[in-house]
Amino acid sequence: MNRTVLIVGGIITAVVVVVLFIGLGKNPAEIRTPLIGRPAPTFALLEVGTGRTIDLASLKGKPVILNFWATWCGPCWEEHPVLVANARTLPNVQFLGVVFQDDERKILNFLEQRGSSYPTVVDDRGKTAIAYGVGGIPETYFIDAQGVIRAKYNGPMSSEILQENLKKVLR
Amino acid sequence: MMVLLLLLTLRVPDAEQFVGPPKGTPLTGDALYQRTQEVGHLLRCPVCQGMAVSDSPAEMAVNMKGQVRELLARGYTEEQILRYFELSYGQFVLLRPKMEGVTSMVWILPVLAFALGVVVVIFKLRKLGKAPAPAAAEHQPPTDDPYLARVRDLVGGGKP
Repeated sequence: MNRTVLIVGGIITAVVVVVLFIGLGKNPAEIRTPLIGRPAPTFALLEVGTGRTIDLASLKGKPVILNFWATWCGPCWEEHPVLVANARTLPNVQFLGVVFQDDERKILNFLEQRGSSYPTVVDDRGKTAIAYGVGGIPETYFIDAQGVIRAKYNGPMSSEILQENLKKVLR
Repeated sequence: MMVLLLLLTLRVPDAEQFVGPPKGTPLTGDALYQRTQEVGHLLRCPVCQGMAVSDSPAEMAVNMKGQVRELLARGYTEEQILRYFELSYGQFVLLRPKMEGVTSMVWILPVLAFALGVVVVIFKLRKLGKAPAPAAAEHQPPTDDPYLARVRDLVGGGKP
């Protein structure tokens, strides 16, 4: 076989293998967010149960862990106890749940049965979720005391992952 | 009245915070419907498998399409709307990749591959043109096989 053809073929094959290796190693459900390092989109939404308005801007001065979830999402059930427990042990961090594509009665039942230690707001028509680039829930955003997004995590949260990401907002 | 007051205190992230005030003309009626479909075709539904927002029945896609409609009705241009979604989701959300950074390869590589193919074909054709003529029939060993003789006739190597 012609040596040039062999070399060119080898290079093309190597490039394809590298691209596939990088591409297939990624989690297809994970959307990399361009919001890291940018101010968190502001919102003021109604709290489930009390009906009071919670404004993200009013939470400035304290790191915020913003968790997008819904009662129909299995992994959200899995991470709920982790968030509740960590919110109890981290009084200087504001936890906030944002529920979308859900029914308020179901959310209340869920919180009554499984407990809660932080407020949950309802994102009507998912506008807040869209502004945060939410794809598949659960998704959690870590916002520093100045209101800048420092980290995002896709998937059910564990205490280790939470602590790891929390370091980024406490720096 | 209380409900109305409560609703007035609610605030969702606004496109103006991201892409500034509208630069186009507010749309209504059929024009609004038509443009919503068109812009929705340029946006990827984030919870679907490569489907456009306009084509997906998923609630997330319906919400996104609703937002496109609302922005068009307020006078936002297609460019501003795509930018708004890109700022939240990144280039992933654009079904037509932008000609910048690594994504520009999506546009450049096929053209390069085609150009390379053309060069290879031209090079090979020129080489074939310069190649010596096939061995003359007189240099071929004589044969008694009628089939072989017929083949030589057909490929032009046989004696007339």
